[in-house]
Amino acid sequence: MYNDKNSKKIVETIQNWARSHSVWVLAYGTGCGAIEIAPTMTSRYDAERLGFRGAATPRQADVMLITGYLTVKTVKRVVRVYEQMQSPKYVVGFGSCTINGGMYYDSYNTINLLDKYLPVDVYINGCMPRPEAVIAGLAKLQQIIREGKANGAEKYLENLDWYKANQRKIAPKWIAKAPDYNW
Amino acid sequence: MKEIKDTMIAKIKAAFPEAVNKAYDGNRLDFTVHKDAIPGFLSHMKEQLGFRHLSHIAYVDWIEENEFEIVYILWSPEEKVKLFIHTRIDRENPVMENIDMIWRQANTYQREMKEMLGIEFPDMVAPDEFILEDWDDIPPFRRDFDTLEYVNRTFWHRPGREDAQDVRETITKRSGEEIPDFAKKYSR
Repeated sequence: MYNDKNSKKIVETIQNWARSHSVWVLAYGTGCGAIEIAPTMTSRYDAERLGFRGAATPRQADVMLITGYLTVKTVKRVVRVYEQMQSPKYVVGFGSCTINGGMYYDSYNTINLLDKYLPVDVYINGCMPRPEAVIAGLAKLQQIIREGKANGAEKYLENLDWYKANQRKIAPKWIAKAPDYNW
Repeated sequence: MKEIKDTMIAKIKAAFPEAVNKAYDGNRLDFTVHKDAIPGFLSHMKEQLGFRHLSHIAYVDWIEENEFEIVYILWSPEEKVKLFIHTRIDRENPVMENIDMIWRQANTYQREMKEMLGIEFPDMVAPDEFILEDWDDIPPFRRDFDTLEYVNRTFWHRPGREDAQDVRETITKRSGEEIPDFAKKYSR
C-alpha cells in the first residue's frame, strides 16, 4: 500500500463508509431511556436494517448509548466501560438528562453535563426520545462517521487531563485507584 | 378486628406500661417508646406477640424540634395487624440501638440511615459505605442540606434553562396555533 497522503485519505474514506454501516451498540441502560431501546431494536422499528445491532460486551462495541441520567456512582462505571472499548468508539447521549440534567438538574447525586466526563458525539434530545428520534440520532451518527468527524476518542486522548480532572472532582477516591488510560 | 386490637393493646400495655398508645382506624396499632426500650420492645413483639415480619424502618427529620424520629413498622401474619413503633433521638448526637440481631434485614435500613441521616448504630454488621460513594458533605437527607447549592458547587449547569419557557406556549406561538381550552390549565 502506498503511504502518501492521498491513498491514506482514500483508505480512510472506505474505512469510514464500512464503519458507518456496521454500528454495534452497547446500550448502557441504567436510566429510564432503556425502555425505548427495545422497540427501536425489535420488529416495529427494526434498527438492524440500518446496520445497528446490539453488542454483548464493551470490547465488541462501537457505540455506547447512554440512556438517561447518570448518578455519580454509575458515571464511574461508564468511564471504566468507555475506556475498555476499542477504537473507533463513539458515545451517544440519550435524553435530556445527559444534555443538561433534565428533571434531575438539582439532584445531589446525578451529574448534569455528560460531556464534561466523556466526549459525546451525538446527543438525542427528548424526555423520552421516541424510537424515531433514536433512529434519527443514530443516522446522524452514521453521517458524521462517514464524514470522518466522529472523533470523540481522539478528543478524549488529547484532553485526557481535563476529563480526568472533572472525573476526579466527583470521585476523588475512585480515580486514584483506577488503572491508567494509556492504550 | 377491634377485639384483636384491644387484646393486643392490653398485652403490650401489660408488658410495657410506659409505651404510649395512639388510636387509629383499621388494622393499625401505634405506640411511642423511649429509645432505650426499643430492642427489648421489638424482640418481645417478635417472640411473644407474633409480629414476625419487619416491613420497614422509616425516618423523619424534625429539624424544628432538633430530633430524628425512627418508625419501625411490623406485621403480624396471623392476626393481620400492623404495628408502628415511634421513637425519637437527639439530632446533635444521633446514636441509636442496633437491632440487626433481631431481624437481619434491618441492617440494610440501618446502613441507609447511617448514610442518609448520619445516625450511628454501634456494633452493626458491615458499617461501611453503602449507596453514596466518595461523599464528604453532610448527609443528604438532612433537611438543612441544600441540594441546589451542592449541585452548583459540584456539577455544572448548561445555559438555557433559566428563561424557563413553557414548551406548549412556545410551540403554539411559533406555529401560530391556539391552545385549546381544555389544555390551558396545563400551561403555566
